[in-house]
Amino acid sequence: MKRSVLIILSIILMFSGCAKKDSGNQLDEVKKRGVLRVGMSTFVPWAMNDKAGNLIGFEIDVATELAKDMGVKIEFVPTKWSGIIPALLTGKFDVIIGGMGITEERAKKVDFSDPYDFSGMSIVASRKKAPDFKDLASFNKSEILIAARLGTTAAEAAKKNFPNAQLKLFDDEAQAIQELLTDRVHAVVASSPLPEYQAIKYNSRFYLPVENTFENEPVGFAMKKGEESLKEYFNSWIKKKTGDGFLKERKNYWFKTRDWEKRVE
Amino acid sequence: MRDRIRFTLLDLILLIILFSGAAYVLFKMKMELHYEWDWSAVASYIVRYDAAAESYVPGLLLAGLAVTFKLSVWSTLFASIIGLFMGLMKISKNVILKLTSSAYVGVVRNIPSIVFIFIFYFFISGQIADAFEFNYRSDSVSWYGTIFSFLFAPSSMLAVFISAVFTLALYEGAYMTEIVRAGIESVEKGQGEAADALGLSRYQKMRHIVLPQAFKRILPPMAGQIISVIKDSAIVSVISVQDLTFRGTELMASTYKTYEIWITITLMYFILTYGCSIAVGSVEKRMERKGYV
Repeated sequence: MKRSVLIILSIILMFSGCAKKDSGNQLDEVKKRGVLRVGMSTFVPWAMNDKAGNLIGFEIDVATELAKDMGVKIEFVPTKWSGIIPALLTGKFDVIIGGMGITEERAKKVDFSDPYDFSGMSIVASRKKAPDFKDLASFNKSEILIAARLGTTAAEAAKKNFPNAQLKLFDDEAQAIQELLTDRVHAVVASSPLPEYQAIKYNSRFYLPVENTFENEPVGFAMKKGEESLKEYFNSWIKKKTGDGFLKERKNYWFKTRDWEKRVE
Repeated sequence: MRDRIRFTLLDLILLIILFSGAAYVLFKMKMELHYEWDWSAVASYIVRYDAAAESYVPGLLLAGLAVTFKLSVWSTLFASIIGLFMGLMKISKNVILKLTSSAYVGVVRNIPSIVFIFIFYFFISGQIADAFEFNYRSDSVSWYGTIFSFLFAPSSMLAVFISAVFTLALYEGAYMTEIVRAGIESVEKGQGEAADALGLSRYQKMRHIVLPQAFKRILPPMAGQIISVIKDSAIVSVISVQDLTFRGTELMASTYKTYEIWITITLMYFILTYGCSIAVGSVEKRMERKGYV
């Protein structure tokens, strides 16, 4: 009897003893470790696998450049988008560089760097199920079904712009697009340029009801709260890279051209 | 004595119904999915030729299958150990041991597995991994680093992998606990009493009389549970272990070849689980031949 009490006590002690030691400064820790661990999730063309299984994309280029300038190695931690913030908070990686839009809700949980990119939302609709819709307002009806990716700002934008429509949320965009292909939803909302690409790819079945994007949102690196020196470092890096045109050039390559397509398929 | 299997008219009709049903489903799929099937790249997800290394290297899905396999082996091992001890604790006369085991089984079995995995991964197992400093090991080139990455996962993925093994083992362990308990309790009371009468100690009674008899009753449900571990391991893809399912969903998000990849993954899981079923079947047959059953 006494022994089992001892065993239980020691198990409890073991767990409490493991409580995370707070090192305080994550920037120093990254440099000491020599590796920057970046959380990301697959989003075409922000981050994806090429034919050889390597990660490529806009965010991958940004993060690789960042690590190079910090003088450390880069390590990508592919993570499900729905669990990416808890994973950051529990220290699975140092920073999220994954096209994460800066929102008030997210800013309650994490700190954002200055924006390094802006991304708009666009909507792609089914020709058969939602023919000839000319404006966003025509999607704001209770019988309209709209698909988006779970936990993204696209889902929030859809909620905000189409409060009367019904939302169907999926784990990734491929499923949302598949839902549109089977005509189970009227439209898909996602960050531009994904809807545009899909409208080109399935030209006979999809169309863009509105040409322009809506909800232009700033995108930043997300890190744990209170990491001031890390944040300062990121902000000055972003300022420098905006100044020398690196960010713009990369953005152009991934978003305006489709040269990278043969690397994927 | 075995009846000869005869092929009758009824069988023929049933077969025709089955095949036409399958054909109808395929036809509907083709008509309604409006899906452009493209199997051309799938082979390269399993094995691809690496021009730089001038050799064939495993593709993303095969690498994922290897992770799933390692994950299943380690989880099964630890789950069996947990199951054995918790099962013994559950039939123990010591109230604290008994309550601990009952609480464990009660908690784990009544939480949806996905919730359990999330909670355990974020709040508890991260601390275990930190305690062993898995997170901070730099890329190891030493010999034990190589062995570690072969047996478990490369150092960058080690923390997540260990967490996943812990989580799965604890989850499956609860079910194995019940299997072990039921197996031991199914051994007739008289056996234990006979052992007592012979003056065997509690340990000897368990080791030589009860457990060997319980084992053969435990084996079939245990085999089912092991196959379950392989299938359930897919769920750890939510905590971003790079197993087969995670690799597959990432590939789908990249390439939009949703159905081709799901079908490929299903076949890969099937090969693993069915292989397991056959292995267990032959073990059972061997035990039967040796007269254990």
